[in-house]
Amino acid sequence: MGNITLGRYIPLDSPIHRMDPRAKIGAMIITLIAIFFPAGWIGYGIIFTAVSTVIILSKLSPVYIWKSMKPMLLMMVFLLVINILVIHTGQVWLKIGPLSIYSDAVMQTLYIIVRLLLMIMITTCLTATTKPLDMTLGIEDLLGPFKKIGVPSHEIAMLISIALRFIPDLIDETNRIIKAQESRGVDLKEGKLSERIMAILSLIVPLFVSAFQRADDLANAMEARGYQPGEPRTRYKILKMKGPDWALLLGACLLLAGMIYLAYFA
Amino acid sequence: MPIKFEKVSHIYSEGTPFRYVALEDVDLEFREGAFTAVIGRTGSGKSTLVQHLNALLLPTSGTVIVDDWQLKAGQDAKGLKKLRKKVGLVFQFPEYQLFEETVLKDISFGPKNFGVPVKEAEEKASNALRMVGLDKEYEQRSPLELSGGQKRRVAIAGILAMDPDILVLDEPTAGLDPQGALEMMRLFRDLNKIHGTTIIMVTHDMEQVFGYCDEVVVMENGKPTIHTSVQDFFKDSSYCDSLNILPPALIRMKDMLKEKGFALTDDIRTLPVFARAIAKQVKHHG
Repeated sequence: MGNITLGRYIPLDSPIHRMDPRAKIGAMIITLIAIFFPAGWIGYGIIFTAVSTVIILSKLSPVYIWKSMKPMLLMMVFLLVINILVIHTGQVWLKIGPLSIYSDAVMQTLYIIVRLLLMIMITTCLTATTKPLDMTLGIEDLLGPFKKIGVPSHEIAMLISIALRFIPDLIDETNRIIKAQESRGVDLKEGKLSERIMAILSLIVPLFVSAFQRADDLANAMEARGYQPGEPRTRYKILKMKGPDWALLLGACLLLAGMIYLAYFA
Repeated sequence: MPIKFEKVSHIYSEGTPFRYVALEDVDLEFREGAFTAVIGRTGSGKSTLVQHLNALLLPTSGTVIVDDWQLKAGQDAKGLKKLRKKVGLVFQFPEYQLFEETVLKDISFGPKNFGVPVKEAEEKASNALRMVGLDKEYEQRSPLELSGGQKRRVAIAGILAMDPDILVLDEPTAGLDPQGALEMMRLFRDLNKIHGTTIIMVTHDMEQVFGYCDEVVVMENGKPTIHTSVQDFFKDSSYCDSLNILPPALIRMKDMLKEKGFALTDDIRTLPVFARAIAKQVKHHG
């Protein structure tokens, strides 16, 4: 459980860490859209180079990025199997008994895998370089314009920041309970089915109890300090877009334009 | 039955920016049959140290020896179940481990996991419940609806029901009311003195160390810096002063009286003995 890297903030000091969260979130969304244009291998090459540059600038270790991709491996294998079974166009590359592997199936899978990997790289880069609190400030601001049509942007941001705030706590709590139950002879790795169900139950029940307890405490603490959803609030941290932030957004827009060009006009 | 640390280090999250050295080159031996206190500042490695005793944590280097087990880095977790029956570990705030429908079922969960037949396990559970000072009517209640102090007792009973030879306690009385804490400490002392259970207890409470323990291990920055008998540790306030902790009330009182010219020996540990010694000298001078 301690090895979960996906979505964890890595405290380093880099130009990317110092950027405005709104610029980072905006650039991420634009780049994610850019990935979905069928711009071919050249297009993906360009996006990969751009994202890698950002990652190098952010001082994140490639090992960390690789670790966050690992959980997706199984899904990729699954995709490959499905595509091989379903897609029957293009040339036959390999024939094993009744099963033929077509070129389109392999290419299609490769495309999806590359897209997935790029998406993970981009989102990991965002979450690893942006403090959860800054992230929610950014989300709140970006949702600001939608307030007029009734989107509760502040409440959504508060919801997200509370959820993010408790992820590490719940992971710690889970580890604690696992250890406590292991001390009582619970074996999470082996045993009969009935024993394993019992083992999982011995984790889930205490975890829920403590999660509700925490939720209760938090609600009381917020109310005690006069928190009123929907009321205007001042902020401690005022976000300000600077030169590098605009440059990042511009870069993302150029990337999107380039992908559209490669996909439809080249 | 040796309980020994040989050049044990434990490093959390090695190879990441979160790397943290919790134990560094620890050489330590706990005496069998003794009631040993482990004290030290928050973050000094006390909890990490004791979690090695039942192999919840394995050393990242070095060897932990408990009875016939030799625990080394990167070892397979198989065959550790027997060790965990032998070494019962009560975590800080153990009430969070309760999950069963009834108190009895929850306490017998441990013994059942170690292969004790249901009937016998429930008998042990019933006994353990009595030991922690809750009567039979609690057996069929849901552990989740008990008060905080009662939950703590049930959780501790859950470990006692396993009949461990070594009992490891991580701040067992934190957050308990004074009366409850006193009862718990008496229970642990009886287990140690009457049943011969080896007890290793992490604590911040010097009165407990002074009143109940035989030996003291002081952890500082992931290393045991002092390992001595309680008698020696509290012979005067010099150890306590060097560690910047407040000595037990009795020691403070003794030091103050000594300054005023009373002759008080180091072996005075309990209030009645202390009172008699003072009375004798007052009379003598009177």
